[in-house]
Formats: sequence, structure tokens, C-alpha cells
Amino acid sequence: MNVRENWRVILLAIMLVSSGVVLFVPGVVGGSGDSGQISNLQYGIQLDGGTRLRAPVVGMTAEDVSFAGQDQGQARQAMADNLSVPTRDVYFQVNRETGVGTVEVFNDSVSETEFATVLNQVGFRTSDDGQFGEGDIRDGVTADTRQQIVDTLDQKLAESGLTAGSARVATTPQGQNYIVVEAPNQGAEELERLVAQRGSVELVARYPGDNGTMQETTLVTREGIDSIGSPEPGDSSPYQVPVVLNQEGAERFTRVLNENEFTTTGAGSTACGGAEKNDRGYCLLTVVDGEVASSHSLAPSFADIIRANEFSDDPRFVMGAQSRGEAETIAVGLRAGSLRAPLDTEGRQVYTLEPALADRFKVNSLITGIIAVLAVSGVVYLRYGEPRVAVPMVLTALAEVVLLLAFVSAVRLPLDLSHIAGLIAVIGTGVDDLIIIADEVMAEGDVNSARVFQSRFRKAFWVIGAAAATTIIAMAPLAVLSLGDLRGFAIVTILGVLIGVLVTRPAYGDILRWLSVEK
Amino acid sequence: MSKFEVPEVDYTRYSNRQLAAVPLAVLAVALVVLAGWYVMFGTPVSLGTDFTGGTELTVQTDTPRGEIDQAFEAEVLSTQRIRDPTSNNPTYVVTFGSETNGTVLAQQATDNLEPACSNPENCEIVLSRQTVSPAFASGAQNTAILGLVVAFTGMSLLAFGLFRTFVPSVAIVISAFSDIVIPLAVMNLLGIELSLGTVAALLMLVGYSVDSDILLNNHILRRSGGFYESTKRAMDTGVTMTLTSISAMAVMAVTATIFGIDLMASIGVVLVLGLTADLMNTYMLNLSLLRWYKLGEVTPE
Repeated sequence: MNVRENWRVILLAIMLVSSGVVLFVPGVVGGSGDSGQISNLQYGIQLDGGTRLRAPVVGMTAEDVSFAGQDQGQARQAMADNLSVPTRDVYFQVNRETGVGTVEVFNDSVSETEFATVLNQVGFRTSDDGQFGEGDIRDGVTADTRQQIVDTLDQKLAESGLTAGSARVATTPQGQNYIVVEAPNQGAEELERLVAQRGSVELVARYPGDNGTMQETTLVTREGIDSIGSPEPGDSSPYQVPVVLNQEGAERFTRVLNENEFTTTGAGSTACGGAEKNDRGYCLLTVVDGEVASSHSLAPSFADIIRANEFSDDPRFVMGAQSRGEAETIAVGLRAGSLRAPLDTEGRQVYTLEPALADRFKVNSLITGIIAVLAVSGVVYLRYGEPRVAVPMVLTALAEVVLLLAFVSAVRLPLDLSHIAGLIAVIGTGVDDLIIIADEVMAEGDVNSARVFQSRFRKAFWVIGAAAATTIIAMAPLAVLSLGDLRGFAIVTILGVLIGVLVTRPAYGDILRWLSVEK
Repeated sequence: MSKFEVPEVDYTRYSNRQLAAVPLAVLAVALVVLAGWYVMFGTPVSLGTDFTGGTELTVQTDTPRGEIDQAFEAEVLSTQRIRDPTSNNPTYVVTFGSETNGTVLAQQATDNLEPACSNPENCEIVLSRQTVSPAFASGAQNTAILGLVVAFTGMSLLAFGLFRTFVPSVAIVISAFSDIVIPLAVMNLLGIELSLGTVAALLMLVGYSVDSDILLNNHILRRSGGFYESTKRAMDTGVTMTLTSISAMAVMAVTATIFGIDLMASIGVVLVLGLTADLMNTYMLNLSLLRWYKLGEVTPE
């Protein structure tokens, strides 16, 4: 066998062997090669079950805001008050050098006009010192905010045990950004609960202030906490999350409680309990996303420790909750932090599939594929009646699929139904091309020299190349546009056509030459 | 072993006009169907949940099909039975409009439908759920249209680049256009909705249908030999190609339907339709244009 003449076949053989290794030797491809998996292929949600959720972020942004002469803390409070939204719904990002930045508002109740008006009221100016108008406000949030949300969601997924889950930002061709969260092998409820809440958790002291009004002071935030325990059934509320404060947190805790009479008259206040704000007495409120999750009083024995300034020695405390789910939200919120902006519940898209149904899809689409290949083989055999033309043809087409699957597995692309559709498209165009090669080579009588073969093969290749170029051009926009399922389909088809034109179809030409010339 | 041969057509018996009339008439009918659909329903093709928004639940339940509607407070648009030979439990796909809340619907299904077996751990009622919000759906619609337009334009430009002559290139573009329009019209008539899967199939058609057109043009324009001889050779190869693809897609459509894999089933059906249209368009429409370009007006013998 002449190596120089058959290098394409040899290349194909080498690639097939390496594909076999990539596909079937456990642990070759990054992953763990775990439990009972036959191959190293990764499956997506449509073939393995799980939930995918896509949702836009709620919010509006004013760009090019001049922060010159503004106290950020006061301005933020003023913006929030004038818009009647919580302060956490207003966010500033300022470039230190230029003093210019963005203002974001994360609340559906605010209109663009109101936003612009309030910016002017608070005294903000555009970077060229003008007033804000409706046109200066755009829908959507900044890239930085989206990234914060993605990072936090990733952490939340890890903290809540959905370790294989992940979040990312995607953009539609219309320029709308949204967050995609995926959790393999998980139902929709858990994931929806995870993203429904921003998960900002604080402990707030509420007590009677001057002239009969109630006062609130934030006692503990995430920054003041050193470690967070697991949710457990509680004493003063149905569930609780034990936390250990850090030095700073413990000092603040001691100072605020001592200054506001919690450790004297307020100890053991009877006004606390349940999930309500107290309108008298001295209570500690666990607040999740602005809602009171539980309220309890400071036990007299605990008050003594704090009054004696001994709390810092062993700064343990509990956050209360009414249900186990709520306690978990608190724990995850404390560990992972809160989403800077909420996700839109109206504009979301959810796809969820039970693993049992996914398994059926997996097996059935494999069977469907095999039957389709058999159909192709049947027709090709009927047409040529010669196994030496038809058998290599079907085998070459299958080789394309193997190479493609190995590639998919090597880049760790999770296989979904759309990719399978792409594979089918590849087999289809592949066999078409092989038919063109076979017909061209065997036309006009027998091939009696390698030169005749070469010239005929080259002619066939012009058509194949042209057809491949059209397929690639037709699919290219979809591979770039983020159109969910269609993207995977287009990428697999383009890759398959490339592998076919560059590797397998030329190799088939060589095989055919060997079979026909040397007879 | 019996070999199937591509039948030889005696093209000399027909004039160019006669040859082109049939595919053009079919194309006209297809366009009328799409126009009629547009007048009656506001869109030229029936759109699926992917493009209109809404919720699709796949449920596995012993509740009889007629009573499934009653489990939900929202209006049920359609209930389809899925036949899957690998599962004994009756399975249905229930579709709801876009103003519904998917989470609530899934809860209602779990509460009100009869489980298909005694141990609820083994048979979840809601097997899958897909909720698409109207905002997403309209975005997807625009993107799909954009994708089709860009793909088609790219293909047309390439056709012109390859042959650099007007008539043969236009012939390719017209038959590819017809290859997409005819399946769209038939989809309406068969009640297949446009989904991401069928858009994928239409895009595949752009690629597939151009194959046989390029082959035909190449044989006739760039090879030695008479017109009819070249046509015969191009047809031998081209028809085999298309028939192979049709058989694979037909088999796929049938098996995927039996197994209840919607995406693959609709891709299969659309490709069978489109490839069949392609046979007609390539060897009647494209061929008559090429013959007119090469030989001028032909009088039937």
C-alpha cells in the first residue's frame, strides 16, 4: 500500500482511532468518567432531563451621569425616597478618574420619565452638563450588573446543592440580554424558587424611638458574618439558621443593642413573634428581600452577656424563618450574597424535562438514527447493486458521525435533540456527496489508470465543494445568532460538512480508487 | 439482485413552457395558500409555541383524554396523545396560550390529574414543561426570519458567484425559493406548526436543494457533451441523491412520530415535502430555464 497515495485514508483511520479513544476511554475528556456511562458524551437537558430557565433582568440604566459634587450615599437614599423604592433598587457605578458613571434602577414600578425627573431633582447632570430626558434612559442593566447576577447565581446553585447547574448571559440578535440558568437533573420548582428571590438577608433591630414612632437599625448584614450553619428546627421560630459573627459584626451587634435599650428594658419583649413587624416593644427581625421572615425578642440571659460586653468571645446567633424552604433561602442568601437586580418573572422562559422521559428520548433517538442509516444503506445498495461501492459509502458516512461525536465530546458540548438533528443533516449531505463521487468516478466506463481517476475525482469535488460552501453559508448566521436550539444544530451541521469535505469524502475517493483501479 | 435505475425522461417531447408550467403552478398555489392563511389568521404560517409564547406540558396520566381539560383553570388549546411503544403509560402533550403561568399549570396538573401508576415516585405526572413568554417568542420569530433571509441571500450570492451567468443562477435561486415555499404551504394544510425544529428543516432544505441544482448546472454548463446527455448523467446522480435523502427522512419521520420525538418528526416531514418539491423544481423548472438558456425555444417533436 502506497502511503503517499493513500494518506487520506490513513489520516481518516488515525482520526477514527483517536475518536474511539476520546469517546470510550473513561476519563480522557476532562470529566470523571463516572457511574455507568458507556461513552464520554455529555448530554444536555433535552436528553438527560433537568431545567433551563431564561429571564431578562428587571431594570433601567442612565449612562454618562456626572457624579461631580454628589455624596453617593445621600444621593442614593434621595433617589430611592423620591422614586419610593427600596435603596437596594438604586445602584451607582462611578469611574473614579472621570467622575462619570451609570445609575441603574431595578424596579418595574418606575417609568423612564419618572427616572429622568428624579435624576434631575436629586441634582445629577449628564456628562455634558445637561438635564436628563426620557431619551437618556435605556431599558436593561449594565454588563457589570449582569455579570454580578451570573456570578451570584452560580454560587447560589453551588450552595443549594445544584452543583452541576450553571448560569450565563445570552444576547438575542435584537440586542436584548437575558440570564440563562441551567440545572441538569433538577425539577423546575427548586430552580424557580432560587431565582425568584434576590436573597438579600439582614437582621434588623426594631424599637420605639423618640416621639412614639418605631425606629429600625440594621444589625447584621452578610458582611458581618463569619460562618453560616445549616438550617435546623428552631426554638423561638419554626426554623433557624445559626450564624457566627465576625469581630466587626459582633462589635456592631453589641453596640447597637446596648445603645437602644435592648439589653435593659427591651430584653424578653413580649411584642415579638411570627413574621410581622412589631408596632411596640423591642424585636429582632430577620428580613429577606424587604419582607420580615421572622421576629423574636432578645432573651434576658443573652441580654446579660451582651451588656457585659462578652458577646464577642462567642459571637453565635440565629436567624429565624417560618419554613424549611425559607430557612434554606436565608442560608443560601447569606452564603452566596444577593442578586443586585431581580429577574423578570413575566418575561421568562422555562424548559423542564423529567429524567425518565429524557432517557426514553435518548434511546429512541438512537434507534431512529440507526433506522435512518439502514434506510440510506438500503437505497444505496439498490441503486448500485455492488457491495464494494455501497458498503464503503455507508461506512464512510458513519465515520463522519463518529468523528463529529468525538469532536462534540472533546469540546464538552452537551448533546441535545437539535444536535442530533444536525447529525442527521450531516449523514444526509454526506451520502449525497459520496453518491456524486461514486457516479463521477464510475461514469464513462472503467477506470483504468490513476490519472483518469484523479481527473474525475477532481471534477466531482467541484460540485461537492460548491454544495458544502452553500450549506455553510446557509447555516453560518444561525451559528452566530443566539436562537436557542437552532444554534447547536447549525454548529454541528457546519462542523460535519467541514469534516466531510476535508477528511472523510476525499478518503472515500481513495478507497474507491483502490477498489476500482486495481481490479 | 434488482437494481433500481433512474428513469429516463424524454424531455424533447415537451416545450420549455410546458415544463416550467407545472412547478410554477404549484408554486403559485402554495403562495395563494400562504396569502390566504395570512388573510385569515394574520400570519402566513401557523406558529407553534416557540414563536407565539405559551406553555406546553407533557403529562403522563390515567385521566381520560376528554377530561384532561377540566384539570386546568386556564383554557387548553390542544391535547395530543403521544404513542411511545417503550412506555405503557398514556402520555399527552397539552398546550396553553401565552397568558398562562407555567408554574401554576404544572401544579394544577399534579393536583388534579390521576397518576398512571400506584407509586407516585415512579411516575411523575408532569414529564416536561416548556413555557415561552410572548416577549421571547416574538424575539425568536424575528431571529428565525432573519436567519432564513440571511441564509437564502448568502446561498443566492454564492450561486451567482459560482456560475457568473444570470439565467442559471436565477434558476437555482427560484427553485430553492420554491423548495421552501411549497413545504410551508403544505405544513399549513397538514396542521404542522412552525417551530424552531421546522425552521431548522427549512434551512437544511436550502442546503439540500441547492446540491442537486448545482449538480445539474455544473453538468450542463461546464461539461462536454450534448444537453440531453448531460441532463441524463446529472439526473442519474441527482435523483439518486434526493431519493436517498427522502427515504432517510421518511423513515425518520415515521419512527420519530411513533416514539413521540416531535422535533425529529417535524424535521423529517418538512424535509420529505421539500425534497419532493425539489425533484420537481430541479428537473422541470431549473431544467427548462437551462434548456432555454442553452438551446433557445424548443418545439416539441
